[in-house]
Amino acid sequence: MRASQIAVFVVLGALVLAFPLLVNAYWLTVAILALFYAIVAASWALLAGYAGQFSFGHMAFVSLGAYTSGLLVMSFGVPIPLGMAAGVVLCAVVGAAIGYTCLRMRGPYLALFTVAFSEVLRIVIVSENEVTGGSGGLEVTPLFHTRSDAPYYYVGLVLLGVSLGLMVWLERSRWGLFFRAIRENEDAAAAAGVRVLRFRVLVFAITSSFAGLAGGFFGHYIGILTPDIGSVDQMGLVVAMAVIGGAESLYAATVGALLCEALVEALRSYEQWRLVIFGALLLLTIRFARNGLLALAYQAVRQRGLRGLVSRKAGS
Amino acid sequence: MLIEARGLTRNFGGITAVDHLDLAVRQGELVGLIGPNGSGKTTTINLLTGHLAPASGHILVRDTPADGLSASAFAARKVGRTFQITQLFSRMSVLENMLVPGLARAHSTWAEATRAARRHLEFLGLSHLEKLQAKNLSGGQQKLLELGRALMLDPEILFLDEPFAGVNPFLRDEIIVLIQTLHAEGRSFVVVDHDIEAIQRLVQRLVVMARGAKIADGTVDEVRANQEVLLAYAGV
Amino acid sequence: MSDYLLIQALNGLVIGVIYAVIAAGLTVIFSILKIVNFAHGEVYMMGGYFAYFAIALAGLPPLAAVLVAMATAFLLSVAVERTLLTPLYSPTTERKGDYGILITFGISIFLRNIALIIYGPYPLRPPSFWPGVLVIGGLTMTWDRVFAAGAGIAMLVGLLWFMNRTIWGEALNAVSQSRESAAIVGINPQRFYMLAFGLGGALAGGAGALVGPIYSLSPSMGLLPDTQAFAIVILGGMGSVSGSIIAGLLIGLSESMFVAVFPDPSRSLTYAQAFSLLVLMVVLLVRPTGLFGRVHTAME
Repeated sequence: MRASQIAVFVVLGALVLAFPLLVNAYWLTVAILALFYAIVAASWALLAGYAGQFSFGHMAFVSLGAYTSGLLVMSFGVPIPLGMAAGVVLCAVVGAAIGYTCLRMRGPYLALFTVAFSEVLRIVIVSENEVTGGSGGLEVTPLFHTRSDAPYYYVGLVLLGVSLGLMVWLERSRWGLFFRAIRENEDAAAAAGVRVLRFRVLVFAITSSFAGLAGGFFGHYIGILTPDIGSVDQMGLVVAMAVIGGAESLYAATVGALLCEALVEALRSYEQWRLVIFGALLLLTIRFARNGLLALAYQAVRQRGLRGLVSRKAGS
Repeated sequence: MLIEARGLTRNFGGITAVDHLDLAVRQGELVGLIGPNGSGKTTTINLLTGHLAPASGHILVRDTPADGLSASAFAARKVGRTFQITQLFSRMSVLENMLVPGLARAHSTWAEATRAARRHLEFLGLSHLEKLQAKNLSGGQQKLLELGRALMLDPEILFLDEPFAGVNPFLRDEIIVLIQTLHAEGRSFVVVDHDIEAIQRLVQRLVVMARGAKIADGTVDEVRANQEVLLAYAGV
Repeated sequence: MSDYLLIQALNGLVIGVIYAVIAAGLTVIFSILKIVNFAHGEVYMMGGYFAYFAIALAGLPPLAAVLVAMATAFLLSVAVERTLLTPLYSPTTERKGDYGILITFGISIFLRNIALIIYGPYPLRPPSFWPGVLVIGGLTMTWDRVFAAGAGIAMLVGLLWFMNRTIWGEALNAVSQSRESAAIVGINPQRFYMLAFGLGGALAGGAGALVGPIYSLSPSMGLLPDTQAFAIVILGGMGSVSGSIIAGLLIGLSESMFVAVFPDPSRSLTYAQAFSLLVLMVVLLVRPTGLFGRVHTAME
């Protein structure tokens, strides 16, 4: 790597690490939520964009992970890391079950099934309000009892780093090749010796685990859980983040989530218009820039170089 | 017997696509499978490679039962196939298309699989296209790539479904030579096609199907003299 | 007690008619455009609001309001189709199936949130179309429900007549079976995609208009009927309008009976919502091709 690139990385790294010291409490919260959404969006991108499994039930796993950990901690006094781990395990099992039962479902049917699954879970949580607190919410023990949210930021950063690292490693492995083969053509993949059932189950189990992990983190940060975290609108937000960034690239989806969350907050004064703007942005991206806006920008930069882009604008 | 079908039957709705078929292929054979459209040839291939489950009957691979096995299990047992309409991994590169079966094999390493893939690509004349996305290949190149993908399984038997369909005469001759070379290496073949001329140049044994059943099975000359075969093609 | 069950059953049939209308619209869209339209519920929702405003602002009588709602829903759907769905017919679009899922999902998110802004988050109870209650023997039913059932049946009959007895309907059928062949005989497929999507939307909008006085309106009211409509369409066999009608009545009826016999009244309403979702999940697991219809043909 060139010296200039190393320098850029070092500066960026320093900024990232020093971030809590540089911003006020509000933007720190935004950053922490952005980290949460990044894990969810990236894992969804892995499932839908990379492995081709269009599941709209991803937020159900976030919800499942959050409530599992929350309930175990609140009702049984389980230590938080163990609670979160339990949430992850449960999500892996349920995710595997979904991957297994939906084997015959392609495309829109899988999407339909997972939306229904997501809504059923939400309805159960709302209905069983004695256990879950229903729509009123469930109070959950926070991870830290410090005045500043900085520890959450660093934990979130570590979780994102580990998650991304694992997902990238997965993509580069032969499993990643098999996921893509299954996405491209299931029959051909089977004829090539890929055990389609096993890998579908695996990709669902793995990505659902990441969603559950993020959910646990979210719950123990926010301190109060509501069933809305598993709603279709939340799923829509995550889909928007991943697609606007670029659903077939983990990095694009991650950066997309970070930027979108920042955008959501920056537009806070616009209240309900935010989701409309995001919806419109999502539609425009799908319609005109299917690989995602970031991918588009990245291509433009590669073709003309940063300087080329600037001088073009100045010249014209 | 390398692969054997006993009493294989498969229905679609009210239609019997394959009707109590008995078919056996020995090690080293090069068999042609022909018949009018709708006679059940592709369904037979799908049944014998695990892509479809039979309604009744048995399949044996190397004299061991293979009933109920999935397509990937057949592939693991060195039964390879190509499809009537080429089924490639469109958005993956040529090399990646080859690596999928290569790495799906037990105990394979990236290095070995890549070496084998490149070897096969060279054999097929596709080496220079290694980095190209499969969807950007010409029709003929795609057919060759599909064959290459099947070769990565190191198959003992290959089912080729219409390898000559829509292929120009030069490529057709090239494919014939490729099949003959692979056959000389010891691989067995069942080739389905409508190009009777190509089939005749290639095969020693010819099986004819009509309306889901086998109506002839013998050498090319024997089959040519068979009245029933002529009637079947005449649509009677 | 049996009077109660009978009333519940009748109410179930009424709502079944509504479901059938929504599902019929979904079927038309599905069989011609070959996509699963996730935004259907939102057009239904919009129809409800269109009717309400037609009455509140323009003082239209109920039947006219419903027709206005249908017309507006038709126009809305056509606008959506022209701007966002045309890539589905272009040979240069890759992975049309994925595109269809994402874009209609995006449209549903967009419409739902636009509605939240325009109409606010609180439910809106439109005034009755036909105030009062019909009483026959021991059974009572609000006139609104009677009106809804009647109008719904009229819509279904109209649709069937249109599909089977008019040249436009036959053309739609032709396009649904083979796009290329239809083009060869001089039918312009593009025009018919527009018509199909608009027609499907009009039906959904009409259903929403009818439902307003019965169940009240809210921006998120489209989500559940949407999944119910999918269950119906699949159960009835994707691509079969008459199958959807029968399935719609069945589901409406069984949903009502479920509520009636569910042991825990405090939870019966919320779990009733889960009921149709579970039906959808089971149907998808068991018979993705439904009971009556043609096998799903993919777009590419």
